[in-house]
Amino acid sequence: MTAKLSHYPNPGDQPPLGSVRRVPDVLELQGLSRSFGSIHALHELTFSVQSGKVVGFLGPNGAGKTTTMRAIFGLVDLDSGVVAWNGVPVDQSVRRRFGYMPEERGLYPGMLVGEQVEYLGRLHGMSPSAALAAATTWLERLGIAERSRSKVEALSHGNQQRVQLAGALVHGPEMLILDEPLAGLDPPGIDAIGAVLRDLAAAGTCVLFSSHQLDQVEDLCEDVVIIDHGELVVAGSVNELATSGSHRLVVRVEEDRDGIWARGLSGVTVSEVAGGEARLILSDDTDPQQVLGAAMRAGTVSQFVLERRRLSEVFREALQ
Amino acid sequence: MKLLFIPLVVVLIALRVWLRRRRRPTTSSATPLWLGPLTSDVAIISAREIRERLRGRVLRFGTLLILGVVAAAIVIPVLDRSSNSPERVGVVGHLGTLQYQLLGASAKEAGTSFKVIQLPSVGTARAELRAGQADLVVIGGSRLMVATAISPTDSSTTALLVESLAKSLGVAKALTDAGLTPARASSVLSARPLTVIALARGKTKSPVHSVSVFGLIIVFVMLTQYNTWILMGVMDEKSSRVVEVLLAAVRPMQLLAGKVLGIGIVALGQATLILGFALLLGNAVGASFLHGSAPATLAATFLWLVLGYAFYCWVYAAAGSTVERQDQVQSLAFPLSLPIIFGYVMAITAVSTGSASGLFKVLAYLPPTAPFAMPVLVGLGEVTWWEFAGSALISIAGTVLVARLASAIYRRAILRTGRRVHLRELFAWQTLS
Repeated sequence: MTAKLSHYPNPGDQPPLGSVRRVPDVLELQGLSRSFGSIHALHELTFSVQSGKVVGFLGPNGAGKTTTMRAIFGLVDLDSGVVAWNGVPVDQSVRRRFGYMPEERGLYPGMLVGEQVEYLGRLHGMSPSAALAAATTWLERLGIAERSRSKVEALSHGNQQRVQLAGALVHGPEMLILDEPLAGLDPPGIDAIGAVLRDLAAAGTCVLFSSHQLDQVEDLCEDVVIIDHGELVVAGSVNELATSGSHRLVVRVEEDRDGIWARGLSGVTVSEVAGGEARLILSDDTDPQQVLGAAMRAGTVSQFVLERRRLSEVFREALQ
Repeated sequence: MKLLFIPLVVVLIALRVWLRRRRRPTTSSATPLWLGPLTSDVAIISAREIRERLRGRVLRFGTLLILGVVAAAIVIPVLDRSSNSPERVGVVGHLGTLQYQLLGASAKEAGTSFKVIQLPSVGTARAELRAGQADLVVIGGSRLMVATAISPTDSSTTALLVESLAKSLGVAKALTDAGLTPARASSVLSARPLTVIALARGKTKSPVHSVSVFGLIIVFVMLTQYNTWILMGVMDEKSSRVVEVLLAAVRPMQLLAGKVLGIGIVALGQATLILGFALLLGNAVGASFLHGSAPATLAATFLWLVLGYAFYCWVYAAAGSTVERQDQVQSLAFPLSLPIIFGYVMAITAVSTGSASGLFKVLAYLPPTAPFAMPVLVGLGEVTWWEFAGSALISIAGTVLVARLASAIYRRAILRTGRRVHLRELFAWQTLS
């Protein structure tokens, strides 16, 4: 039963961090729509998530992120659309191979930490011994093994978050969906959970998580999906999105620390001048070499950097 | 009695072994084939419910309290019966043979024995009464004296003795005044009562009466307690949001069924323990409730406790899924308990009057009130086996319908958070399926 339902032959003995799958898994969301009265929470939302990568799921408040995640687990009745795993519509047996960490954390406050994680493993089809072993391993990995016999309600917010993550990971899920997993965590907590997510992705797990902390998403994710008003706005790799669109330059001319040289250049917008550095946004048809020439004519160029867009800028621009 | 004792011991041993196995990790991850049904999701959810409930202090102390009350209810009447001390009857002057015989007859009528204390004077008699050394005093065979006036409603042994003795001594005096010799008066006073011919066998109130009341109280307390557990348990899962994590892995019906089954097994175990304890203790001390139709009443009570739980658990689970705060639960708990209170009050009334009205007989066929009404009808001997079976079948059919409706409500309401969900919203939102 365990071998059939779990992605890994024996998740209790070995957390899924060491092996890499050969054929990538794909979660596809095809035309998801859901309305609550006159509000369109999701509208023809389509995107896919491939295994082996940590994918950030972004959008402003009320964009439909949580509804999308709940729809993947059948917790929201869709008006239309299909959620498919490797081309097959997702049903209960497939969902049991997924791991879920909802936005509003869900644990039994009075239950012992170890038993809680073990129980969630059992509900995902693990045998008692495998669930116990996997729970022990994950609690150790997340640094809360010594609290295994404590009640959940006795733990700090950060440690409860770790228990919740252990509950989502205990059965070695093929697909891991986390709604705001970093919210309320201190920097060490963010680092610990980030390391786990990266390791899981490297081992071939599909990881999709939502967050409002865009800098952390940028550090953690390889791909992002941005939605707004229940519709897809942009999707792609963080690298591509950061380097696509208008070029951004940071130029320092020692003889012109106020960036006057750049004003009036065709196809160049001065977005900011601070500390002697001028931040420039170039139009699509403007060649950076022309800008470098203009700068050199103005004086000694001590800094000329082609700047990537921050994810926060990608996010804002996408929503505009 | 051995037949009851052996399964009880087996269940306790099995429970202990299971709990021990829970504490240590098993070495093999393979699940034996024969354990397949027990390892299903419903069984896993039930096992968690049972484990968490057994750990709770409420169950332990509640069970101990009920067992204490049951023990007191069984043992005290037996002790009271065996420790009935004789009435101390002071006598001033001479007590003739006739008066002595009448004193014995009155004591028998009052259900007691007596001890005569010879007193030298009325003054001494007063002192003895005030000091509590005598219960009553007969003065010269023609007057009775007690410490405090006896009210007409006083049903104590002393009151019954005084009332009976006053009457018989009065009649004896009247007979001797009318010229009868003491021997003749004695003969008249000891005349046999006439034989009364009855057209039908009478109803014996005791011990069936006390068994019915005991059973009703147990059914009322347990249905209230366990249904409240279900209500609160479902609400807690919703308010803690753990239900979202659980429903990502199992179906709503599995989660619901696991919960009501787990709590139901705890309820059944507690009821079996209480019943087994009552029977064992009753047998050990020679209590009177093990005779006549009392065992049948007890068995019917047990069966209807199970059927009553099966019916109400779904109602309370569905109600629990519509709320997520204590104040919302409180506003629901009272209307939900009304059928239980109504059935209980009607049943207690029927037991105390010793007869079942037409309305009460109708209530015995309605699933919400049958758990109270039907065992009482069994105790009163006013139901045939096929009427009993018919009521049970109606209750089972009603339970199936309620379970379907409840699971549909649960499925739609359990994930809707923020405020209390009203039924009309669920029905208006989408047709139940």
